[in-house]
Amino acid sequence: MAVDEVLRTHLQELRRGTVVVASLVALRQPDYGYALLQRLTGHGFPVDANTLYPLLRRLEDQGLLTSEWNTEESRPRKFYRTSESGEQVLRLLLDDFAAVQTSLAALIEGAPR
Amino acid sequence: MTTTLTDRYLAATLRSVPTARRDEIATELRALIADMVEGRASTGQDAETAEREVLTELGDPAQLAARYADRRLQLIGPAYYLAWQRLLILLLSFVPALVGLVVGVVQATISDNPAGAIGAGVSAAFNVAVQIAFWVTAVFAVLERLGTPLNMPKWTVDQLPAEPVQRGTTLVDVCASLVFLCLFIAFLPWQHFQTVIGAGERLPILDPALWSSWLPVFILVLVANIGLELAKYRAGRWTWPLVVVNAVLNLAFAVPAIWLLLTDRLLNPEFVDRFAWLRDGGIDTVARISVVVIVAITLWDVVDSAVKAQRSAR
Repeated sequence: MAVDEVLRTHLQELRRGTVVVASLVALRQPDYGYALLQRLTGHGFPVDANTLYPLLRRLEDQGLLTSEWNTEESRPRKFYRTSESGEQVLRLLLDDFAAVQTSLAALIEGAPR
Repeated sequence: MTTTLTDRYLAATLRSVPTARRDEIATELRALIADMVEGRASTGQDAETAEREVLTELGDPAQLAARYADRRLQLIGPAYYLAWQRLLILLLSFVPALVGLVVGVVQATISDNPAGAIGAGVSAAFNVAVQIAFWVTAVFAVLERLGTPLNMPKWTVDQLPAEPVQRGTTLVDVCASLVFLCLFIAFLPWQHFQTVIGAGERLPILDPALWSSWLPVFILVLVANIGLELAKYRAGRWTWPLVVVNAVLNLAFAVPAIWLLLTDRLLNPEFVDRFAWLRDGGIDTVARISVVVIVAITLWDVVDSAVKAQRSAR
């Protein structure tokens, strides 16, 4: 139905930015792509593999993540970790997220239904 | 080593990823795919199905590569779209018609095949339109890829039209007028060469002597009328200067035409001689009716334009 389609696109819009925030939080503890994907999904951040993997590289290019190859296991894996500047950006993003939540809560309070 | 689906997928993806990062992305992506396949296989799926499903989930390699390269999958994005659209409309609004007209007129004057001249004009206009559309789009697509800043002046409220214009002239009207004018212009050389009377014989309807006197003037007036139509469409309505120009052009056409008709100098004497009823006074009837029609059309057109200008000025 058309309403479902509308809802789907709005949810997608709403969720889009949160993947970056969630990844930066989760990667305070270093991890590789697939394990991160599973952790995020497990915590209620379902994300497509073909979105997450390129996103990790982009965040690395922006200096928000650092990476290291781990060759000790059966196959070489690239481990990402939130960098110092990534941590700074994350803090600002979380502040903003909290501000949005506060504003929204106040708006809901103030608006009679 | 046999080529697996994963190998083929990687090859397809890496083809359009920047060379510098290709190897690294290859190693990482291969490990990620292996992880995903393993994850699925651990739930009891057979490895082959798992591989197919994982690659299906990752989707079109070209799209994945575009995400890795941070490339947008669009020909012309929002940053360039309006500039592209405006330039395209501006150029298409007059260049093809102009080139077509010039080619047609030139052809008509150098060859004795006016029908062919019209065809040459139309095909030249079409070719020019296609070329414009292609090259403008190609240039903007390249700009989009290079990320060249356009440095367009920022939009300001001063750019708003002075008043909301109620279009008194629609595109359809203008197109109809333009087609009529072009056909009229084309008719003049056509009648000179192509009018068939009787068995394969051809005679010009209008006096050929006029080619060195009044016919070029008529063509010039008709071409000016095309310009007037375009100016009117740009303005969106009849303005008083346009009304004046329209009246002048109408008179410039009507006065010589009426004078030529009344002095029996418009039609080709040989043509008149071929038809008994024209010879025997019919020509006067034709002239009289033509004069009345021309006067009526001219008056109606001028009054109509003035009324419309008056109405839109309020």
